[in-house]
Amino acid sequence: MESIKQNPLVKKVGFNRIVLCIVLLLLYALFCVLTGGSFLGTRRILSALNYAYFLGFLSLAVTFVIATGGIDFSIGPVMFCCALMAGFSFNIHGVPMGAALVISLVVGLAFGIFNGYLVAYWDVPSFITSMASMNIAKGLASVFTQTQSVSWPQLDGDGGWFRNLVTMNGIPVGLVILLVIAVICAVILNKTKMGRYILSLGSNKEAVRLSGVNVKKWEMSAYILCGLLVGIAAIFFVGAYTTVQPGYGDQYNNEAIAGCVMGGTSMAGGLASISGTIIGVLIISLLQEGIMALSLDKNLQLIITGVIVIVAVFADVVARRRKN
Amino acid sequence: MGEVILTMKGIDKSFPGVHALDHVDLEVRKGEVHALMGENGAGKSTLMKVLTGIYKKDSGTITYEGKEVEFHNTREAQDAGIVIVHQELNMLGDLTVAQNVFIGREFKKGIRIDDKKMNEEARKLFDRMHIDIDPTETMSRLTVGKQQMCEIAKAISHDAKVIIFDEPSAALTENEIEELFKIIRDLRKQGLGIVYISHRMDEIKVITDRVTVMRDGTYVGTLITKDSTKDDIINMMVGRVIYEDPKTQNMTPKGSPVVLKVDHLNAGKMVRDVSFELHKGEILGFSGLMGAGRTETMRALFGADPIDSGDIYINGKKVIIRSPQDAVRHGIGYLSEDRKRYGIVVQKTVAENTTMADLDDYSNGPFINKRKEHDVAEKFVKSLDTKTPGVDQLVVNLSGGNQQKVVIAKWLTRNSDILIFDEPTRGIDVGAKNEIYKLMNQLAAEGKAIIMVSSEMTEILRMSDRIVVMCEGKKTGELDISEATQENIMNMATREID
Amino acid sequence: MANKSVSKTAGTNRSFIDRMGGQKFIVLIIVIAMFIFFSAMSPGFRKYTTIVSILDYSYYIALMAIGVTFPLLTAGVDLSIGTGLICYSLIGGYLVVHQDWPVAAGMLVTVLMGVIFGVINGCLVALMDLPAFLATLCTCMITRGFGAFVVGGYGIPWPTATAPGGWFRSIFKIQVNGQNIPVGFLWIILLVIIMSFVLNHTKMGRYTLAIGSNKEATRLSGVNVKFYHVMAYVICGFFAGLAAIAYSAIFATVQPGSGAGFEMDAIGGAIVGGVSMTGGVGSVTGTLIGVFVICLLKTGLPFIGLTANWQQIITGLVLIVAVMIDIVKRKRESGK
Repeated sequence: MESIKQNPLVKKVGFNRIVLCIVLLLLYALFCVLTGGSFLGTRRILSALNYAYFLGFLSLAVTFVIATGGIDFSIGPVMFCCALMAGFSFNIHGVPMGAALVISLVVGLAFGIFNGYLVAYWDVPSFITSMASMNIAKGLASVFTQTQSVSWPQLDGDGGWFRNLVTMNGIPVGLVILLVIAVICAVILNKTKMGRYILSLGSNKEAVRLSGVNVKKWEMSAYILCGLLVGIAAIFFVGAYTTVQPGYGDQYNNEAIAGCVMGGTSMAGGLASISGTIIGVLIISLLQEGIMALSLDKNLQLIITGVIVIVAVFADVVARRRKN
Repeated sequence: MGEVILTMKGIDKSFPGVHALDHVDLEVRKGEVHALMGENGAGKSTLMKVLTGIYKKDSGTITYEGKEVEFHNTREAQDAGIVIVHQELNMLGDLTVAQNVFIGREFKKGIRIDDKKMNEEARKLFDRMHIDIDPTETMSRLTVGKQQMCEIAKAISHDAKVIIFDEPSAALTENEIEELFKIIRDLRKQGLGIVYISHRMDEIKVITDRVTVMRDGTYVGTLITKDSTKDDIINMMVGRVIYEDPKTQNMTPKGSPVVLKVDHLNAGKMVRDVSFELHKGEILGFSGLMGAGRTETMRALFGADPIDSGDIYINGKKVIIRSPQDAVRHGIGYLSEDRKRYGIVVQKTVAENTTMADLDDYSNGPFINKRKEHDVAEKFVKSLDTKTPGVDQLVVNLSGGNQQKVVIAKWLTRNSDILIFDEPTRGIDVGAKNEIYKLMNQLAAEGKAIIMVSSEMTEILRMSDRIVVMCEGKKTGELDISEATQENIMNMATREID
Repeated sequence: MANKSVSKTAGTNRSFIDRMGGQKFIVLIIVIAMFIFFSAMSPGFRKYTTIVSILDYSYYIALMAIGVTFPLLTAGVDLSIGTGLICYSLIGGYLVVHQDWPVAAGMLVTVLMGVIFGVINGCLVALMDLPAFLATLCTCMITRGFGAFVVGGYGIPWPTATAPGGWFRSIFKIQVNGQNIPVGFLWIILLVIIMSFVLNHTKMGRYTLAIGSNKEATRLSGVNVKFYHVMAYVICGFFAGLAAIAYSAIFATVQPGSGAGFEMDAIGGAIVGGVSMTGGVGSVTGTLIGVFVICLLKTGLPFIGLTANWQQIITGLVLIVAVMIDIVKRKRESGK
């Protein structure tokens, strides 16, 4: 075991990520067997990918916040709020589709700024801001839409072009966009000052502050980036699933966090892996698709992701304890 | 002195990479105050933690009241009558005094906690100790000294047979120390065995009957206090090297300009009206007892804590420092006493820590120039002789001395002209200490201005060109090294100001 | 010495508000002011039936809040109480409605489920050292999935007041001459008194506060910290179970998938009532008063023309403001 871990190639790719990839493949094989082969076709894979897009953006979003040592579990409802407000503006107020997409991003950003400001400048615990934002997002969306669900236009409808962002003539464009943005996120996290400060302050905020770094600004920036990514996630959610209902969205919080912590991002902050997050998201998406394909109760998904997060975080806690 | 109540024999304890206790012996009799002495890191606290079950010993025996014992936690030790009054206060700030004193063994009336009785008992206890504390007061509202008294009351109330005082006087005023000694003498009369850990020689002479000295985790010897001199004890504590090349004269070049001037600085209750000047190429020692406000002064000066009033001048120009950012911009670097918490990011690499304060200069726009970062880290690893397998090593894997060098590199990278070393050698082994000293002298010679806060008298006398002494948040004296002695520094450090 | 007199003067120098109970007192005045405000603004609000319905709403929130006060006081939190409440009620109700269990047995199971999840939360936080908000966020999702999974996704109508087994609804509301008498309020008062006693006069409460104040120091004092830390969550789970019964008794049907957001009403109430986010400070009576701020918002806002959705937004903001006040207060105290 140890010798495998010490192998230079394994070290380079990361042991954790190799294990995750194996889990992903095994899970796929398992579903292929259980569904009697119906999983082999591209249909199921494309369907799982549809789920992976928005979840991927959500998970990337929360990765940055968790890297600072915080948490954001308002992302699901905020994503719905973005989709509802933008969609409602398009449907009822007649703003053009392009502007509607921008509205989605702006709403996400606004929540990011709100959360980030309170956490970074006021020292409000991040789970409190999450809890508040979650409810504010739900309330705001309901007020804005008068508690009506919102359906985004179909591909052939007016403004339906935005669906090409998700799939164009059967080509999963969404996957390309997700991967491109993931690469950008990885660059931000590993190659820029912003990423360096985010990870460092997640590890030891006071030491970074005493190095003369404006930690408040950088901590807030993680939340802002998170908000922006949530705004993007909203577009891909409606691109795949069309209709959003006010008052929901919290179930995706846990799935996003699950993808993130499974991928090796530590809840204690300071340690994050973008590629790990993406593989984690693929596992969750496949799981979701598998549960659907097997006609199992979709509530199982909630239970399983809950357990996954507990196990992943506990593993991290144990690893840290052993180090000290 | 009565019969032997406690014997520790051949106690051995290792931590990964450190042999903390190497066959240490200790014997305590009834009705004696037994001093346990040794420099920082000699292993006194570790020995006491082994005794009270916080650490498990690797080998050796503990005999208590004639029976061999091994405690698995503080509770077991307490129940047997061995109680420790901790160096760092273990108080529950939100609870009342009486609730603190009796935490873990509340008086009960049925299922109800009998707070009334606890208050009465606490009051009786305080009366017996002749101290005036209201048992119903919230703990966090008391002064540090009073909180310490509560800790002692708590220990006494355990029906203790052996009480360990771990540097009890560190945060106390002289009056409070007098009170403490009265209490200790009382306890001695009642036949308790008392272990008294302290650095203060004068206290040892006043209050203790015997002295056991430890050095670098080993047992050196035990003396009868009244038959031995201060020098005897110091000799045992430090071994043969007492003061390795102590400074005898101010090494600062004549007419060296003032780079930093602090004028009537006030910050919170720990920094009151502090003024001093720092010259280019000078090492200015800050001496004083624990809680004298030295670290607080430095933190305020560095913008880490808010300043209430006062002016700071750098190179003659008045500057406003509201945050560490401001301080760093003005060329100040701060090396905290608590490296792991305030100095380094342990989960990051040597290179990443090196550029932490100056990342802008190692980036192109938003992107970090890893090549350049790597190079500067390499440069300082070489010039400071930091022992690390490479600059990509996580700092957590380095020893204390080398971690300190990484922090120094951080500020040198930033090109800071004023360096504040707060307890620069705390937790660093002897060899590495000398290296740090050499480095500080070298930096001063290169024209950096250095402030060194230190609780170790030897360090102050060895390194400083001038010495500022603080007591209870105020500056109580300033000495040139040529006129400084342990005695006059200690005098100033314990001066009662009013 | 100036600072030597601190301990003496601090006792007598407390302000009038401090002596009246501090934040609790201010919040009580706010509750009264809100009540007067809504009454003045809307004749509909002044009615007896409105007061009864405010109380109806308050029971399950108050019960959750009393429970969650304990984890909060240990400097933790329990986010699973809202979805947990629904889960426990669904399972208890499922046994009553679909398995023909007696109502009393169903209620017992409901409370027991709460205790079980309390134990689970306690173990995750106190024994396994997971961050409280994360562990309970997971159990929040798990209880939500589990409840819906057991009942198969359909709502559970506990027996109506007139149906066999409907007696349990009269625990909270009895009808005398066609008038509803909100007896549930008496139960709440009784439980607040009991839990105040537990918090202030028993080991359980003392150690809960001690853990929140300084866990390590408490451990070094020889207290079985792990046990009491777990117990704080068990108490919370137990009260979530009681809240589930109150919810079942007040509302006609329990819907799977709901319950998210209830926890914020309860936690918000506790924090408004003076429980500090950093633990160690707070009271059960304060929590109850805080709950009424939330309940008045919930029931009062529609009377002045704001939809229930606004209540969600405003509760969120109230929570933030309450926490900010706590932060400012703490900063000022430590700065002294």
